[in-house]
Amino acid sequence: MPKLERSAYYDLTRDMNWRFKYVRAEEVFPQEMVHNPEVPYEEWWKWDEPYKVTYREYVYNQSEKDHGVYSVKAAIARSKLFDALDNGWKAALTAHYGAIALPEYLASIGESRMARFGLGASWRNMATYGCLDETRHGQIQVYFPYGLLDKHPQFDWAHKAFHTNEWGAIAARSMFDRMFTANDALSTAIQLTFTFETGFTNLQFLGMAADAMDVGDVEFGALISSIQTDESRHAQIGEPTLRILLKNGKKKEAQRLVETMWWRAWHIFALLTGLSMDYYTPLEHRSMSFKEFMEEWVLRQFLDMFRDLGMDPPWYWDIMRDEMNWYQHGLHLGVWFWRPTVWWNPDGGVSEAEREWLEEKYPGWNDTFGRYWDVITENIRNGQTEKTLPQTLPLVCNMCHIPIVTLSDPKQKHNAPYVSEYNGRRYLFCSEPCKWIFDVEPEKYAGYLSIVDRFLAGHIQPPTLENVLAYMGLTPDIWGRDADNYAWAFQKKVDQAAVGN
Amino acid sequence: MSKESGARARGDRQVGGLRRKRKAWSLWEERRVPSDYEVVSHRFHYHFRREPAPFDLDPNHPINRWYLKHREGSPFQVDDWEQFRDPARLTYKDYVTLQKDRELYVDQLIDDFEREDHYRRLPKAWVDLLEVLYIPSRFSGHVLQMSAMYWAQMAPSAYITNAGYFQGADELRRLQRSAYIAKALSLDHGEHLADSERTRAIWEDDPHWQPMREVMEKLLIAYDWGESFVATNLVVKPVYDALMNVAFSGLAEQNGDDLLHLMHRDFQLDSERAANFTVALVRYATERVSDHRRLLGEWIEKWREPAYRAAEGLAALFEKAPHGMAKEAVMDLVRASHRTFLERMGLA
Repeated sequence: MPKLERSAYYDLTRDMNWRFKYVRAEEVFPQEMVHNPEVPYEEWWKWDEPYKVTYREYVYNQSEKDHGVYSVKAAIARSKLFDALDNGWKAALTAHYGAIALPEYLASIGESRMARFGLGASWRNMATYGCLDETRHGQIQVYFPYGLLDKHPQFDWAHKAFHTNEWGAIAARSMFDRMFTANDALSTAIQLTFTFETGFTNLQFLGMAADAMDVGDVEFGALISSIQTDESRHAQIGEPTLRILLKNGKKKEAQRLVETMWWRAWHIFALLTGLSMDYYTPLEHRSMSFKEFMEEWVLRQFLDMFRDLGMDPPWYWDIMRDEMNWYQHGLHLGVWFWRPTVWWNPDGGVSEAEREWLEEKYPGWNDTFGRYWDVITENIRNGQTEKTLPQTLPLVCNMCHIPIVTLSDPKQKHNAPYVSEYNGRRYLFCSEPCKWIFDVEPEKYAGYLSIVDRFLAGHIQPPTLENVLAYMGLTPDIWGRDADNYAWAFQKKVDQAAVGN
Repeated sequence: MSKESGARARGDRQVGGLRRKRKAWSLWEERRVPSDYEVVSHRFHYHFRREPAPFDLDPNHPINRWYLKHREGSPFQVDDWEQFRDPARLTYKDYVTLQKDRELYVDQLIDDFEREDHYRRLPKAWVDLLEVLYIPSRFSGHVLQMSAMYWAQMAPSAYITNAGYFQGADELRRLQRSAYIAKALSLDHGEHLADSERTRAIWEDDPHWQPMREVMEKLLIAYDWGESFVATNLVVKPVYDALMNVAFSGLAEQNGDDLLHLMHRDFQLDSERAANFTVALVRYATERVSDHRRLLGEWIEKWREPAYRAAEGLAALFEKAPHGMAKEAVMDLVRASHRTFLERMGLA
């Protein structure tokens, strides 16, 4: 071993900041690529990462980690473990791979943008590791479902989803593009690493790894926990960036960056993790509801962090806390109903025992969402499943691109979206914060058409549901179906008890 | 990994033989089974040439415009970049495995020399030269890191992007080892060697460094992805590496500094990997569009003289070593090395 410890020479590995002479600093760091709100360049030279690592440590650690995870995969591939997994869990897994695998690779582009346009050498170095990490996460999360292609063709969507105009892919892509693939370096540091990774995914991955182990998905558990260890390192790019903004009187700018992304992250999170925790995960393996998870893990720790840094919680905090009671349930109803439009098999997840759990975790669930499921259950029991399938498209939010499930007034039984006008066009939103995010920077979003806009503009001809499915890249072997072939509709509580005995 | 996918490929028929199971991505075009390298690289850049804009924001969003101008709008185009393969065919896993072994070697090297009290035994005149010639090189190395990370994020295919990421990380590897040596030297030869302000002042003010600083700063604002790739990988980096790995390694040996001699020979292996990738990519592009020879030739001409002037500025310092190398001899080596490299692509 070399005699000097990292701390003895570390500062010399990250002091490569200087004053430009042959070109202008504004040319090296153009506003498009790094939107610096007039913090003097030399302030960024003080950027100090909380987690320090050298290249040699990086390749030592990472090669060991990769070998560990790939050998778990190789061992599992020879077993029947996957076949034994619950169908609801498989739905969560398939949804995850399609929505997350390729975006992880896209995050390498956001990280490389910071590695080039980050305003301090230490920031650029950390982002260089971050870029490698995200290349790892993209490749490994594409490779694992590749090994599952012979189990179900839906795993093809781990690679294909982002090539399509499927609505869930649009929802994820439009958020991730805003967050990192097409974001400037400074906003990426605040919106990807601080807001999304520190706020949501770092903890979510911990929870998912535990759940995976609990349901017996050792492969996914090993994968996700290994990814989480990288995530907890590179997520720390956000904090020093935020500290420099705050120290230089840019709290307003920092606050806005967090607020315009936190809400969108919440919505995608509710779509993926909310459905998985409240409906897809087998009842006996549920440790907490999505709402409990949000409250105990996400909100509390984020509020603590905000307080420590001198930031305020987003203005819509109470709106979000209200949505935590019903938003994921509305989405689940919509996703299950429009199941041919997704690349996974949604689990109805509303057997009598499950409904009891839902009522306990979300008092009043039976009177609100339960009523809709009563009708659906009845139709299924009468053999009229065609009545549980869609004939039309839902309204889609022009910000989060998720179907609008908000009942603005619960007494009216129709959707009443929030509306903005811009350059002579009306835009519809699912919520007040989605509308606000648009109104803050309409020029960033206005020219982008939602799937419903495209339908109305005649991009899908003739405008039939079949053509919409084809436009979304969905083929009959992929169309989502009920995960358990409606078994839940026939499961009485006594049956569950009998199984238990 | 590859054995495993081969096995799956052979067992891809269901027992009943009714339905042929999918054995590759539906977006994989070839009949053969993709390698693992291809499985985790192929068509990842779905956003390249996407209509109406690469990313799902307003088509006039500044970064959409940036990519439309500097990537889709670059004159360096072929119909299909997805058939390109880096000769090293590295996945992330391969890269960190490869580099772990190389870092282990450098760790052992440093350890061996430190046991012999290497730094203390170096003559002051050599250490004085290292202060001006070698220690500031972490600044120029960092620019090469930034530049690789730029063209990588702008490249039209993940097969190209990933090689750029690894190249950028290699630059970080080299400059961190150089930072280590600066600190280690400072313990025996004076704190000034590990003084950031002093090193920065050499990079910013020493006349020997100014032509290098000039070409490096200008490299940062070559934003067309093709030009950024060509300026970096066909001109500035190969010239710089010939100087700071090959010639410098020889100078170190000549002056009894076998640690730096062997370290930089090892760094040259990274450089050779980047060079092999570059040759393959240029051949790929020129085989498809022969007129690219002219385009690449123009970019090479634009960057060659500034890069040579930069090398000359530092070559003058090679003369000042206790056992010096004549500036012309250094430049002959650098020019010959660059010419040989360009000849591999028919661009000399």
